[in-house]
Amino acid sequence: MESSEAAVGQKLTPAAEEPGTAGRGRPLSADSLFHGVCVSMAGLVGVALVAIVIAIAVDSLPAIRTFGVLGFLKSSEWDPVSEHFGAFPFIVGTLVSSAIAMVLAVPVSFGVAVFISELAPAWMRQPVSAAIEMLAAVPSIVYGLWGLLVFAPAFANLEPWINDHLGALPLVGALFQGPPMGIGMLTAGIVLAIMILPYITAIMRDVFVATPTRLKESAYAMGATTWEVARQILLPYTRTAVTGGIFLGLGRALGETMAVTFVIGNSNNLSASLLMPGASIPSVIANEFTEATSKLYVSSLIYLGLVLIAITLIVQVLAVLLLGSVRRGAVSSR
Amino acid sequence: MSPADPLSDPRSPETSAIPQTRKAVAPPEAAAEPFVAKVTVRNLDFFYGKARALKDISLEIPQNRVTAFIGPSGCGKSTLLRTFNRMFELYPDQRAEGQVILDGENILQSKRSIAEIRARIGMVFQKPTPFPMSIYDNIAFGIRLYEKLSRAEMDARVEGCLRQAALWDEVKDKLGQLGTSLSGGQQQRLCIARTIAVKPEVLLLDEPCSALDPISTAKIEEMIYQLKSDYTVVIVTHNMQQAARASDYTAFMYMGEVVEFGMTRKIFTAPRESRTEDYITGRFG
Amino acid sequence: MISLAAKRRAVNAVASALMFAATCVGLFFLAWILWTTLRFGIAAMHWDLFLKDTPAPGDGGYGLRNAFVGSVILMCIALLIGVPVGLMAGTWLAEYGGRSRRARLVRFVNDIMLSAPSIEIGLFTYAVMVDPLGHFSAFSGGVALAILMVPIIVRTTDEMLRLVGAEMREAAIALGAPMWKVVTNITWKAARAGILTGILISLARISGETAPLLFTALNNQYYSTSLARPIANLPVVIFQFAMSPYDNWQQMAWAGAFIAITFILLLSVTSRLILQKSVKRP
Repeated sequence: MESSEAAVGQKLTPAAEEPGTAGRGRPLSADSLFHGVCVSMAGLVGVALVAIVIAIAVDSLPAIRTFGVLGFLKSSEWDPVSEHFGAFPFIVGTLVSSAIAMVLAVPVSFGVAVFISELAPAWMRQPVSAAIEMLAAVPSIVYGLWGLLVFAPAFANLEPWINDHLGALPLVGALFQGPPMGIGMLTAGIVLAIMILPYITAIMRDVFVATPTRLKESAYAMGATTWEVARQILLPYTRTAVTGGIFLGLGRALGETMAVTFVIGNSNNLSASLLMPGASIPSVIANEFTEATSKLYVSSLIYLGLVLIAITLIVQVLAVLLLGSVRRGAVSSR
Repeated sequence: MSPADPLSDPRSPETSAIPQTRKAVAPPEAAAEPFVAKVTVRNLDFFYGKARALKDISLEIPQNRVTAFIGPSGCGKSTLLRTFNRMFELYPDQRAEGQVILDGENILQSKRSIAEIRARIGMVFQKPTPFPMSIYDNIAFGIRLYEKLSRAEMDARVEGCLRQAALWDEVKDKLGQLGTSLSGGQQQRLCIARTIAVKPEVLLLDEPCSALDPISTAKIEEMIYQLKSDYTVVIVTHNMQQAARASDYTAFMYMGEVVEFGMTRKIFTAPRESRTEDYITGRFG
Repeated sequence: MISLAAKRRAVNAVASALMFAATCVGLFFLAWILWTTLRFGIAAMHWDLFLKDTPAPGDGGYGLRNAFVGSVILMCIALLIGVPVGLMAGTWLAEYGGRSRRARLVRFVNDIMLSAPSIEIGLFTYAVMVDPLGHFSAFSGGVALAILMVPIIVRTTDEMLRLVGAEMREAAIALGAPMWKVVTNITWKAARAGILTGILISLARISGETAPLLFTALNNQYYSTSLARPIANLPVVIFQFAMSPYDNWQQMAWAGAFIAITFILLLSVTSRLILQKSVKRP
C-alpha cells in the first residue's frame, strides 16, 4: 500500500522504452514484428490457391506439350506402355459418379434437413443432427474399406434385380445392365452420396433453422401443412444458400479420392452401363501414381490433377459465392 | 475548410504555447473557484465517415475535479470522451480535427507514442470488461506494461488499487479466481482498479453505471468522489441525478455541440440556456 | 371426388413419411458403417498390433506399430507447422484485416481451400517438395497435412476472435497496451476454447487423410522415424492392406480403421465438451 502511494505522481513512461526516445521504443517494434508475422501468414494463405495451380501446372508441362489441351481431354486412350495418355474416360467417370451421388444425396439431404428443422419432436433434433454429422467425421478411407468389403458384396446381391427391372426399361435400360460384381460406377456414386449427405444436410438445416420464425409461423397460421411450408416458404427463402450447399457437396464428390478408388472398379475403359467398373480422375491418380515410372507418365497424372482442379475450382467458387455469409465453418456448423 | 482545421491555421502549433483561435468556453465561475485546466479542447470537430458528430467543441476540463458530460443519446458525449485517449483511431473511418490539449500538449498530433498518452489517460467503459484472467492478473496486466515490479511490490500495488476501488475486502480471498466470476458491480470496480493501477492523470468514465444496480452505482459514485483528489475525472452519463450527485462541473451537450458548461449546482439550479433547462427538467431527451 | 383439404393432408402425410424415411436412410448407413467397423475392428484387436511392425506380404501375424508411430509423427509435424500459420493468419483477419478488401480476399481463398480436394493438396506438395528433392519423405507428408489443417484453423480463429467483444479490446488498448499484448494476453485468451476446438477439429480431419500421403510420405514397411525418408502411416497402410488378398492384412485394415474412427470421435467429443464448457462459463 505504501509503495503504491509513494509512486503516485511519478511520471509514467512505458517500462520497455529507453528514456528520451519516447515513441519509437521496443514495444512498437514488437508490435510491428507481431503484425508482420500475422500479415505474412495471412499472405501465405491468400496466395495458396494460385501457388497450387501454378505448381501443378508446371509439373504438367511435359504432358501438356506432348498431348496438347483438347487432344488430352478428348482422347480415350490410356496406355502406359506406349505412353499415350488421354483424360476422357476419367473425366466422364468423375462427372458420372458425382452426378449419381448428387441425384441420390440432394433429395435425401433435403428430407433430413426438413425433418430436423420442422418435423422432429424437440428432443430428437439434437441427437439426429449430431448423428448425421458423425457421417462427416468418418474418414474417407473407412468409407472405402466399408464400401469394398461390406457394401459391394451386399450390393452385388441386389444387382440381378436391378438388371431385371431397371435394365428392362426403355432408353435408360442400358445403364443398368451388367454382371453383378458389386463394384462399379453406381456403387461409387452411392458411397459418394452417403459421404456428402452430412455436408449438404448441415447447410440446409442451418439455413432452415435460421429462416425467420414469423415467416414460418404466418404460413402455419394460415393452415399450411409442414410440407407446404417446407416447399413454399423454406426452400424459396433459402434458395441461394441451399444451392451453395449443393455445390459444396458436389465439390466434395468430384474430388473424393479414397472411397471412390476402393469401389469404382478401376477400369480405364468407358462403359455404357453404370454397373460396370470405371475410373475417376482422383482414383486413377491414386492407383497409378506410385507405379508411374516415366516422367511423361507422372506428368500426365499430374495433368489429370490440373483438369480436376479446373473442374472443382469452378464448383467451389460458385459454392463459396452462393453461400456468402452463411457460416459453415468447421465449428459453427456443429 | 473549417476554421478549426489545424492545417489551415498557420499559427497552429503542435505543442505548448497555443494561441487561441477562439476563446475557449471556460466555466464562468472560474474566478470564484480557482482551477487549473488539465485538458483543454479547442475547436474540435469529429467525423464518422462523412457525418460530423462534434461541431467546433471548445472547453476546459478542470484538474482534480469531476466533470460530467450530459445530454440526450447521440449528442456526442461519448464521442468527445473517446477523442481524449484517441480510442477512435481503432476505426479507420473515424477522425478528429482540432486540438485536445493535455498539459499544454496537443495529443491529437503528439509525437509521443499512443501507449504513453493512454497510460496518462485511463478509461472505464460502459459495460464491465474484465479480461479473461484472474482478478490479480487483471490488475497486474496494466502495471506490467509499464513497470517491472518484484512479486512483493506487485502484491502491494494490486492490494492498493483494489482498496482504492473499494473492492479489496470482497475479493482478497479469491484473487486467483477469474475476473468474470465477479458480480457486475464488482466487475466494474475491478475495471476501475485496473485503470488506476496504471496511475493515469485523467480518468475517463463512459457511463460506468449504466449496466449496474443502484447499490453498486452508489458504491462507484462514492469511489469517484474519493478519486478526485488524485485524478482528474471525466464522466459521461445519461443519468442526470448521477451528474448532479457526483460531479463538480457539468457540460450539457446537444447535437454535437456543448450548449452550456459550468459548475454543476449552477447548471442544475439556474441554467442560462433554455435548452439546458428543458433537458434537465425532462422536457425532452 | 376428393376434397382439396383431404388431398393436402394426404400429400403432407406422404411427404412427411418420405422425410422421415430419408432420415432413417442416413442413420441406417451411419449405423451400418460404425457397426461393421466396430465388429471387424474388435475381432482383429491383438496386442501385436501395437508391438510389432507390419508383416511382409504372405507372412502371417499382426503388427501396425510402425504405422501408428508414423501417423503420430506426421500429425506432430502438421501441428507444428499448421497451428502457428493458421493461428497467425486467422489473427490477422480478425484483428487487423477486418472487413478490408484484402481480408475479404484472404477469407475467400481460405474458404476455397477449406473444401479443396485433398488429392490436389497432395499433388501440390509433391510438385514443390518431393519432385525437386527427388524422394518421398515423412516431412513432405506432414507439410501436406498442415496445408489441409490451416484453412480450418484460420476460419475458426477468425470467427472466434471476432466474437470477442470490441469492449474488451478497447479496454486493454485504453490501458496503453500494445496491440500484440492485447492479442496474445486478452483476445486469444478470451477465445481460447474456440481456437482449441478448431485445432482439434482440424486434427480429426487430417488424421484419416490418405490421398495426400500417397504422393508425399508414401509408406514404409519398416519402422522408421526419419523425416527425410518415406514413413509408414495408418491411412495408407489401411488402403494397401484392404486391397490385398491376404486375410490377416484385411483384418489389420479393419483394426486400423476402428482405431482411427475411435480417435476421431474422441477428438470431436472433446472439442464439443470444450466448447460447451466455455459457453456455460459465466
